[in-house]
Amino acid sequence: MTAFAADDLVADTVDRLLLDLCSPDVVEHAESDGWAPELWNAFSESGFPWVSVPDTAGGSGGTLGDAAAILHGIGRYAAPVPVAETGMLAGWLLAGSGLEIPGGVATVATGLSLQGGHLVGDATVAWGARSERIVALVQDGAAWKVASVPTSALAIERGANLAGEPSDLVHFDVASGGFDLAAAAEGVDADALLQRGALSRVILSAGAFRALTQITIDYTNERKQFGKTIAGFQAVQQFLVNTAQCSVRVNMAAERAVRALAAGEPGIAIAAAKVLTDAAVAEGTRAAHQAHGAMGVTREYPLHQLTRRLWAWRHEYGTASMWRRRLGTAAHQAGADRVFQLITD
Amino acid sequence: MIEFDYSELTPSERALQAEVREFLDRELPHGSYHPALGFHADKDPEFSRKLGAQGYLGMSLPKRYGGHERSAVDRFVVTEELLRRGAPVGHHWVADRQSGPVIAKFGTEHQKERFIPGIARGELSFCIGMSEPDSGSDLASVATKATRDGDGWVLEGRKIWTTFAHLHDWAIVLCRSTPVAELTDKRQGMSQFIVDLKSPGLTATPIPFIDGTSDFCEVELDQVFVPDELVLGSIGQGWAQNTSELAYERGGPDRWLSSYTLLAELLRLHEQQPLPDRVADVLGDALANYWVLHSLSLSVARSIDSGGAPAVESSLVKEMGTRFEQDVVTAINGIVDEAPNMADTSAFIRLLISATLAAPSFTIRGGTNEVLRSVAAKGLQPSGGKR
Repeated sequence: MTAFAADDLVADTVDRLLLDLCSPDVVEHAESDGWAPELWNAFSESGFPWVSVPDTAGGSGGTLGDAAAILHGIGRYAAPVPVAETGMLAGWLLAGSGLEIPGGVATVATGLSLQGGHLVGDATVAWGARSERIVALVQDGAAWKVASVPTSALAIERGANLAGEPSDLVHFDVASGGFDLAAAAEGVDADALLQRGALSRVILSAGAFRALTQITIDYTNERKQFGKTIAGFQAVQQFLVNTAQCSVRVNMAAERAVRALAAGEPGIAIAAAKVLTDAAVAEGTRAAHQAHGAMGVTREYPLHQLTRRLWAWRHEYGTASMWRRRLGTAAHQAGADRVFQLITD
Repeated sequence: MIEFDYSELTPSERALQAEVREFLDRELPHGSYHPALGFHADKDPEFSRKLGAQGYLGMSLPKRYGGHERSAVDRFVVTEELLRRGAPVGHHWVADRQSGPVIAKFGTEHQKERFIPGIARGELSFCIGMSEPDSGSDLASVATKATRDGDGWVLEGRKIWTTFAHLHDWAIVLCRSTPVAELTDKRQGMSQFIVDLKSPGLTATPIPFIDGTSDFCEVELDQVFVPDELVLGSIGQGWAQNTSELAYERGGPDRWLSSYTLLAELLRLHEQQPLPDRVADVLGDALANYWVLHSLSLSVARSIDSGGAPAVESSLVKEMGTRFEQDVVTAINGIVDEAPNMADTSAFIRLLISATLAAPSFTIRGGTNEVLRSVAAKGLQPSGGKR
């Protein structure tokens, strides 16, 4: 469980829902069918996708911490549902600009522009074809605006990320009138969206790491070789410790970053969390796979549902290299005598 | 399952942090001292006395003996500030971190009155008397013998890796007081003694360290008499007491800040000028890791204050924190343009050379990483299918 939620009820409820409805089989079927309708419907009925979006704007209310608790659960169960996109990202943009929150899936597109009133550009969009609306943050002169486009109006080429979750190439060339446009909320710009998107990936990864550690411990305590469970071998214990350390770092980073953003002072938190997550993905997935031996690289054993997601999410919302460089610049700006305050504040 | 509850500093802890920063800015302005690599620091009794006068030593110890009964988190705040500046903490370090707390926990009234006030004032210095030439990770195999003699005990044997034994005042020495042959478990029959390092029969000989310093010692105990009043805790309970002492050695900021001063000097070299990308990358990577290790260490301290026993968590932090300390040194070595020269007196190169030479010790001292992994693995238990 996680300590993100202000109210443990949110975390408990989402955990029960996922335990009932998100077995490894369901995850596997969603990958071949492209969708897990029962799971999404259950989420939708509970209002979970819109948690942290104000209820006055058509969301479910609740804090960013509550939303993080839900995403953490999705990460733990490798749940194939676009909750981060629908609420924390698209819902946040829409609510901030006073645009309508759709009843179905919403997702976000980046890198689009407004040209003579037309919304144009190509974007790779998570869950694009599955969505009801695609929401973009675009610059209009010096101002940032939120555009909400009905997905039915768009040409889409299907694709998928490493985890087999939809990642579609969407072509935008929509005339004014074909989409809704409104001024973005104060402080909402491309960087704010990038930070929020990166944070969503960190939280999902934190959940996946928690589960990755647990199933690796469980497997090595069942599997026997040389007459004893392999968790008893020091060489295997090293992999368990490495996996657990990666999980501990990413989970602490996720929680600190969520609190920093919720307090309106993200500072270096999200950049640091994304850099740490990337390093942990490299170290932790290697250790977990090695501990599992050949079983871990089959499709029938669910380790890949977690590791493939971790490998997919690391590429989304900024590379580690970009975030690392940004942190280095922050250290440089602070200077040798004040950089420690970035660590403690 | 292992739990690191998220924690933040409270307003009063922030106030302490600000106070310590102001004090150290005044006492240790940049350029006025040689920054150390973490707790492998110079012995400066005058500086230690100043810290004592500020109330920054013996923070967790009872007030009636001159301690301050403050929290583990308060001590964490002070320690973090001292170590990140590479302050000369060598004189009081062991006394403050572990000897004081174990005396407070297991000592007699007489011992508490005799030692704790001096520890809290930063006057008394202590050494750790655990390792022996033939006993490292397998501490239960210590061979230094304690034999009953009149109103006390006679110690016979050798201790090693005893930092500052030739200069410090006291050592807490782990001995075998009952021969293994008479026991079913070799962890029984061990006892701890508070030994005066000026005792007749005790010789401390420096062992030149890889970096050319001579703070490490070998201690020979040749018929050293220790009176009953300096037996620490109970005869035969040495193993349990010692294990509790080791808990103070792990999980703190001393396990991830050892190469911080090197990183800070790297940054200082690039102040007021454009930052090369390769330097930015090293700084960025390190900053992310310090940022999370700070939170993990704070979580351990908070757990101790709430009555927890985060032995497994401390081991996890120490194991990864010390590897990170080495990674910082490796990364910085990878971006320096000129080969470090021993004749160079600049703060950065001096620290780079010391850190490169001392780095292998980071993952050895206070419990090797191999032992720590075994301790940590005990906390990694099956879940019964729960995620």
